[in-house]
Amino acid sequence: MAAPVETDALLIRRIREGDSDAWYELIARFEGRLLAFIESRTRHRSAAEDLVQETFIGFLTSLPNFDGRRPLEGYLFSIAAHKLIDYLRREGRRPMLPLLPAGSGASSWDPVGGARPASSIARSGERRHLEEEALAAALVQQIDHFLRRGQWERLECAELLFVRGWSNKAAASRLGIGEQTVANYKFEFIAALRAAVRSQRLPEAVFPELYQQS
Amino acid sequence: MNDFPRCDLEAYLDEALPPEEMARIERAVREDAALMRSLASIHARRGEGIHTLGEIWRQRRLSCPTRQQFGSWLLGAIDEDLARYIAFHVEVVGCRYCQANLADLRTQQDGAEQVAVTRRRKYFQSSAGYLKAEGGGRKGK
Repeated sequence: MAAPVETDALLIRRIREGDSDAWYELIARFEGRLLAFIESRTRHRSAAEDLVQETFIGFLTSLPNFDGRRPLEGYLFSIAAHKLIDYLRREGRRPMLPLLPAGSGASSWDPVGGARPASSIARSGERRHLEEEALAAALVQQIDHFLRRGQWERLECAELLFVRGWSNKAAASRLGIGEQTVANYKFEFIAALRAAVRSQRLPEAVFPELYQQS
Repeated sequence: MNDFPRCDLEAYLDEALPPEEMARIERAVREDAALMRSLASIHARRGEGIHTLGEIWRQRRLSCPTRQQFGSWLLGAIDEDLARYIAFHVEVVGCRYCQANLADLRTQQDGAEQVAVTRRRKYFQSSAGYLKAEGGGRKGK
């Protein structure tokens, strides 16, 4: 289920060369899905169209910083989300979050016992990126494993547990399987990811979720 | 006391939940100071570089079907297991990005092409002024 990164890379290269035909092509390819994404929340067509317009301008102004290895669609959706959030705040629909003092964000994640809290580990942005890449690679490996073997139930179970945060009970009920089966799937999934983290010699504290799940 | 899973609060911050669930959290956060603090805490945690599986999975769209697969799905020309998974991913997981793709493909199927062309021209005209070659200059249209 891979994105067409190579086609995107070629299009981006042409846009970076100032090719306006390529720019029109990008607009034609992506505007419909961006409009649907935004309009589902604004429920107002002309406001949604304005935000899509801002998204495309935002894309061009940020193009020098765009990492061509990133999927283009995901990048456009992330710009659209930022524009939409600003709009919803201006409309008074989306509250502003209070700022918390430094170090307060990880409190509910810090491991129980003597392990070092994640928030105390100073890491560079590059280091954080490498950690995220490692975990993403491990996830891709697991998802591919499910797909190759046609293990749809395991894939759906992992998605409910980790993407939507459903309880074992709720996932079992939705999938029509036993709670013990869900627990087994979860255990095996986490074990595979832990092994990947260990093999990369990455600090456990920055992946607290892998060590809190039971 | 809110009962939203942490994963949903993370997705809320990214504007990535289905619209009705986004609205549900927005309503709740106005009346629940603890929910507001939970959201702020997650936001701060991200700044500290703590990784969660759900965020990485969702943001990188690791199990999202391709646009081509959605097209085949709409035509009913796809393997039964994959078709069932696509429905699950869109309707149960509620992937907002895939919902948008699907809505767009359905609009195209409905033949609203001329309206789209007008819109595209408007986007192009309003943005092309920002297009410039990284080495200078511009070409095309």
